[in-house]
Amino acid sequence: MEPAGFITDILIPALSQGLVVTLQLIVLSAPFGLLLGIGISLGRQYGGKNLSNICKLYVIFIKGCPLLLLLFILYFGLPSVGITLTAFAASVIGFILCNAAYNSEYIRGAILSVKDGQTIAAQALGMTKWQVIREVVLPQALRRAIPGLSNEFIYLIKYSSLAYMLTVIELSGAGKLVATKYFAYNEVFIAVGIVYLALVTFTTVAVHYLEKRVAVPGMIH
Amino acid sequence: MNQRYCISLVVVLLMTVLVLSTGCTSTTPQAKTYVVGIDAEYPPYSYIDPDGNVTGFDVESMRWIAAKEGFNVTFQPTAWDGIIPALQAGKIDIIYSGMTITDERREKVSFSIPYLKINQSVAVHKEGNYTMDDFMAGGLIIGAQRGTTGAIWVEENLIETGKMPAENLKVYDNFPLVITDLAFKRIDAAIYDRPPLLDAIADKPLVIIDPQIDTHEEYGVAVRKDDTLMLDAINKGLSSLMQDPYWEELKQKYGLI
Repeated sequence: MEPAGFITDILIPALSQGLVVTLQLIVLSAPFGLLLGIGISLGRQYGGKNLSNICKLYVIFIKGCPLLLLLFILYFGLPSVGITLTAFAASVIGFILCNAAYNSEYIRGAILSVKDGQTIAAQALGMTKWQVIREVVLPQALRRAIPGLSNEFIYLIKYSSLAYMLTVIELSGAGKLVATKYFAYNEVFIAVGIVYLALVTFTTVAVHYLEKRVAVPGMIH
Repeated sequence: MNQRYCISLVVVLLMTVLVLSTGCTSTTPQAKTYVVGIDAEYPPYSYIDPDGNVTGFDVESMRWIAAKEGFNVTFQPTAWDGIIPALQAGKIDIIYSGMTITDERREKVSFSIPYLKINQSVAVHKEGNYTMDDFMAGGLIIGAQRGTTGAIWVEENLIETGKMPAENLKVYDNFPLVITDLAFKRIDAAIYDRPPLLDAIADKPLVIIDPQIDTHEEYGVAVRKDDTLMLDAINKGLSSLMQDPYWEELKQKYGLI
C-alpha cells in the first residue's frame, strides 16, 4: 500500500470523523463541568455545614476514583439498577463529574485569594451574601482561576480519549481502529498526537487572549 | 525539617534502592525463556483460571511443545489489538492464543502450520427474536472485540457492502465487555469465534443463533519474521503434538470436539 493513498484515503477521513466526536464530547462537557465546578466551590465555601461537607465528599470521591473506573460504573454498572445510558451520554456525564471536581478546587483557591476585607467592605455597604459573592468575589475569583481552569480544560481534551473504552469512536479510538486494521501504528499514532497537540496549542493561545481580554485594568493581585 | 533527619531519610532510601536492585540482578542464567503473548480473556484457548493461573487449550499446547523442544516459556497477557506490535517490538516472542491466519497479519508476522479450523458465530439475547437473516441483512446493532476476525468480517461483509451503517458496529476493548452489553440488550448481537463464544455465553441469558458463518479460518502460532529458528521449533513441536494422543485429550478437555 502506498503511503500517500493510505493517509489521504483512509487515515484523514477516519481521524476527521473521530475529531468531530471528540469536539462534541468536549463542547458538551466543558460548560457543564465549569458550572458544576462553580456550584461545588461555592457550596463548599459558603454553604452551610452539611452542603459544605457534601461538596467536600464529592470532590474526595471523584479525585480518588480513576476516571476510567467512573466511566465503567456509569456505562456497565448503572444498567443493573435500571439506568441504561448510551456510551456517548455515559462519557459526557463522566467527564462533567470529573471536570467539575477539579475545577471546583481551582475556583475555591481563587475565591480564597480574594481578601476578606472586600467582603466585609461590601457587607458594610449593605450587600447581601449572595450579592457579595456574585458582584465582588466571583468576578475576581473566576479571572484568577483561568490559568488553572485552562489546565483542566486541556486535561479534558486529552482524557476525552477514554470514551473509546466505552465504544465511542472519538479521535484516538478512530486512530486505534485504523492502526489495528492496517498495522500502521507509528503513522497513525503520530498523526493522532499531532491533532491533540494542535487542539491543546489552540486552547493555550485562546486562553492567553481570553485572559488579556477579561483583565481588569489596574486590578492588583 | 531537621537536617540530620533529612540526611538519615536519604540514607535509608538509598539503602532500600540498593537492596531492591541487588535483588533484581541475582537471577541465575538458565535455559532461555521465551515470552508467549496471549489474550487472557479468550477461553477455552487462553485465560486465567479462578486460582489466577494461566491456562487453556493453547497454553497447555504451548507448554507441551516447549517441554518437547527444550525451552522455557512464560505467558504474558497482552491487549489483543496491540499484540502484533508487541511481537514486533520484542516485548513478546510468540503469539499463541487462537490467532487466525490472515493475509494482512502474514505481512507482519510468520505463522506456523495451522492447528485448528474455526468459524464465526453470532450470539443474541434470549428475549429478542433475532435470526441469522436479520444479522445478515445488516439490521442489528452488532458488538465485536476490536481487532478480531469477527469485527473484520462485519466490516467487510456488512458495512463495506452498504448493508449496515458503520456506527451500528460497536467495537470493544475485550470480549467480556461485548457480552456484558449484549446481556443489557444495548446491542442486538455479538460476533466471535465459535468455541470462545460458547464459553462466554454460558450462564448468561444469551443464545447462539445458527447457522454459523463459514469463514474457514485457521489458527496459527505467530512469531517474528526473522525468527526462523523459533518458527521451526514451533512447527516441529506442533506436528509432534498433533500426532500425540495428548492432542485429542486436550481437545476433549476443552470441549473442542
